[in-house]
Amino acid sequence: MKLNLPLVRLLVVKDWQLFQKQLATYVLAGIVALCFLGLAESWAFYVGSLMLLIVMVAAACFSISTSLVVERKEQTLSFVMSLPVSPLDFTISKLAGNLITFAVPFVILLGGTLATVLLTPLPDGLFVYALLIFAYILFAFAISLSVAMSVESEGWATFAMIGSMVLINPYIMALAQIPDIDQRTRVDAVVWTLPAVGILISLVVLSIAVLGATTWFHARKPAFN
Amino acid sequence: MSFAFSLNGVAKRYPHFELQDITLALPEGQVMGLVGVNGAGKTTLLRLITGIAAADAGEVRVLGHRLPAEQVAAKREIGFASEDMRLYRTQTLRWHMDLMQQIYPAWSEDYARELAKRFDLRTDQALGGCSHGQRVKALLLLCLARRPRLLLLDEPTTGLDPVARIEVLEALADVLRDAGRSVLFSSHNTHDVEQLADTITFLHKGRLVASADRNEFIDRWRRIVCQGALPSGLSAWPEIASARANGSLVEIKARAWNESLPARLAAEGLQVQRTDAMGLEDIFITAVRSGGAA
Repeated sequence: MKLNLPLVRLLVVKDWQLFQKQLATYVLAGIVALCFLGLAESWAFYVGSLMLLIVMVAAACFSISTSLVVERKEQTLSFVMSLPVSPLDFTISKLAGNLITFAVPFVILLGGTLATVLLTPLPDGLFVYALLIFAYILFAFAISLSVAMSVESEGWATFAMIGSMVLINPYIMALAQIPDIDQRTRVDAVVWTLPAVGILISLVVLSIAVLGATTWFHARKPAFN
Repeated sequence: MSFAFSLNGVAKRYPHFELQDITLALPEGQVMGLVGVNGAGKTTLLRLITGIAAADAGEVRVLGHRLPAEQVAAKREIGFASEDMRLYRTQTLRWHMDLMQQIYPAWSEDYARELAKRFDLRTDQALGGCSHGQRVKALLLLCLARRPRLLLLDEPTTGLDPVARIEVLEALADVLRDAGRSVLFSSHNTHDVEQLADTITFLHKGRLVASADRNEFIDRWRRIVCQGALPSGLSAWPEIASARANGSLVEIKARAWNESLPARLAAEGLQVQRTDAMGLEDIFITAVRSGGAA
């Protein structure tokens, strides 16, 4: 089946137009969180990091929920399926649309976080730690997106989103149990340790693999159902 | 003869429903009304013809394209609107029109404006604030203004108030004047179908009960009122769909009326009092209840 690129582009633009206002709100909230972080006070760091996590999780869930779960629930999906698109076009447009709508706040807030760590009195050791946190959010987003694209049940899609995002808590606790990661967060230098690099690469590779497998699976479908 | 669509031995299975062995074709330029109760398989059939769903068996061809493999090419020439299809509530009709214009080269902005005026639709209003009738009309506008060769409408008048229903039917009647356009529309309202369709197809429990020219249906079916006692075995006659007695009156509904039938009934002791043409709703209900071919 041949990919209809102009139409895929149109569908991605359509999703972007639908979500841009809300995404701008998330970015704004993320910048406020970064301002708290930049104060380099313990109370502000706590408020800022918590707020940043909430914003990133919300942005990841918002994109998936609105473009896939709500589209199905509000029956706009059958409108999209009636357009001259194949299941492959639809899959690629949803994947690309979600990645872009997630990537915009993700990249801005990741860049902002890293800049805040390096340019404020916060210890530079948080640089790698921040990357590890953002890598997990990317991984949870990939899992949630794949499940939402593969199941018709709103319940399972929501479960996957909440489940994968909530697991960030034990993930943070697990990172705290690794001395090579935990101790480096308090030093004022960017230190790459083997466990940190290993976890970072694993999460990124797993995210790509999950999204790749989902695309491959859906691209083989001859019809929507 | 070229066909807008043809289905040959098509089957589609779902966990609690099965569309079975459908063989059906619509010649180009004709209007077919698909009649069936809720759950008869009308929506499934329309989804197969749009290529949204793939048949488990049989062959589906639409405007010369084999589905679902060539669904993109087919859908470029199809306008499909269904009762369960919704537009984006947060966006305006103008936004949807702009999207359609970019997708369909045959989109006619003038015709879209004309339809918006005719349907009394405000193009700058977010669709979330529109009534159900306005949303259905907006969907129809988006379908019609792309000038499709094949128009597929799934229950287009369901849930509309009487005024909106008449407006939609009038717009459809205008569209049908275009001889080059083929239309398949489903409904459980036989009055709508009777008004618009050249050909009528009955679907029940996933099976094709009958498909014929509208006039042929009307000509073939008769309600015969007789005086006398209901003879045993009358219901087994192939041309009789139903027969019931009410006192000394016997009401017979014939699925294959012919001039010799009154004489044959007289031979069974029945005096024919009246012979009436039947309405489509009566034909449909009798055909479905009798279970045989109409």
